[in-house]
Amino acid sequence: MEAVLEGLLFVVGEDGLTLSQIEEILEVDEEKAKEILSNLKTSYEEKNRGIRIDFLGNRFKLTTKKEHQKYYQKLVENKENNMLSQAALETLAIIAYNQPITRLAIDNFRGVSSAQMVRKLVAKGFIKEVGRSDLPGRPILYETTSEFLDYFGLPTIDELPDMRNFLEQNQEDDDIDLYNSKYKEDKITQEN
Amino acid sequence: MDVKILDFEGPLDLLLHLIKESKMDIFDIPMEQITKQYLSYLHELEEIDLEKASIYLPLASELMEIKARMLLLKKEEIEEDEEIDPREELVRRLLEYEAYKEISKTLKEKEDERKQYFTKIPSPLSPYMEEDKGLEGDLTLDDLVDALKKFLKRKEEEKPLKTKVTMKEITVSSRKLEISSILKNKGKVKFQELFEHFTKPYIVATFLAILEMARENSLLIKQEKTFGEIIVEGTK
Repeated sequence: MEAVLEGLLFVVGEDGLTLSQIEEILEVDEEKAKEILSNLKTSYEEKNRGIRIDFLGNRFKLTTKKEHQKYYQKLVENKENNMLSQAALETLAIIAYNQPITRLAIDNFRGVSSAQMVRKLVAKGFIKEVGRSDLPGRPILYETTSEFLDYFGLPTIDELPDMRNFLEQNQEDDDIDLYNSKYKEDKITQEN
Repeated sequence: MDVKILDFEGPLDLLLHLIKESKMDIFDIPMEQITKQYLSYLHELEEIDLEKASIYLPLASELMEIKARMLLLKKEEIEEDEEIDPREELVRRLLEYEAYKEISKTLKEKEDERKQYFTKIPSPLSPYMEEDKGLEGDLTLDDLVDALKKFLKRKEEEKPLKTKVTMKEITVSSRKLEISSILKNKGKVKFQELFEHFTKPYIVATFLAILEMARENSLLIKQEKTFGEIIVEGTK
């Protein structure tokens, strides 16, 4: 069974397989599917091979290992790196944390028009239209795709870092003050 | 101020930069100072790229409005606790924007990391594919509407070309000519007899023609008794 799964994962390549697809194709239940997967995963790891099983964008995929990255780089002659622009990253971040979201809402977050950027991201397959909002004019709603997750090496959308860690909090100062005053109190009692 | 103008992603980005650079407290932004800095930057930008500068204009007016409202607040000296700080909304937006900017840095790191390993393009499974393509998933209502639109357009093209049925125009002058020739032949006719068709333009044109001809004295209109037959008579 592991060999079959290995072949399957090779064939599907970047499309990957969901757990339920594996169950369906191998005609096994979820538990068995997980077992086969983890066996294969371990055997890849044990033998220290060039390939591993990754969970990206809700799908299991065969990928190369990042330790070998420098060797792959030698295959390429022009090392022009094809990275997303700051504007694209910003827009994706806003969509990822607020989906489904309308273009106008994205504009409001960014303070600039995002029409072109949204079109570009749709073309790249990072976001897609998922319906229309009930707001006047029934604007289109956008959501990130499984390709988006894969591009950033994320297993699921829940793996995105917590937004709260990035928000400067006003209360923080108050908390510290509270703590400090209490600390002082303690110190005073100790001195006494 | 020599800040590279094109480095900013938009007005919020610029404002955030100005605040950080002058080490202002984001929760207590000195509006006068920040507005001055923002405007001086904007003027500089206007010289270089007017179109780009226009993107930065709305926030400039917003800053000035907030500044004005704060001045009003001070003058009235109302209990400050109950007043909503005019800067509140802007600060919220700035903080949010800053958060997304930070997150995009994390995303950038993740992007870099993910670039270090690869998957492959799916192997073509065409030998097993059925001829019937069927419908791909991911169809939305919009696709259906699009399909319908295309169908209607095709139908439109199949329709025979439109031909315009032109109506013969009836003018007062043409009716005048006709009436005078009738009167020449018959001498006099009943009023009704001049109305051969019952279309609106015909009746109107004929009636106007009779009135005009009466004015020109080229016909006479006679009525023997009240409610009697109206007779139209040629004058020659």
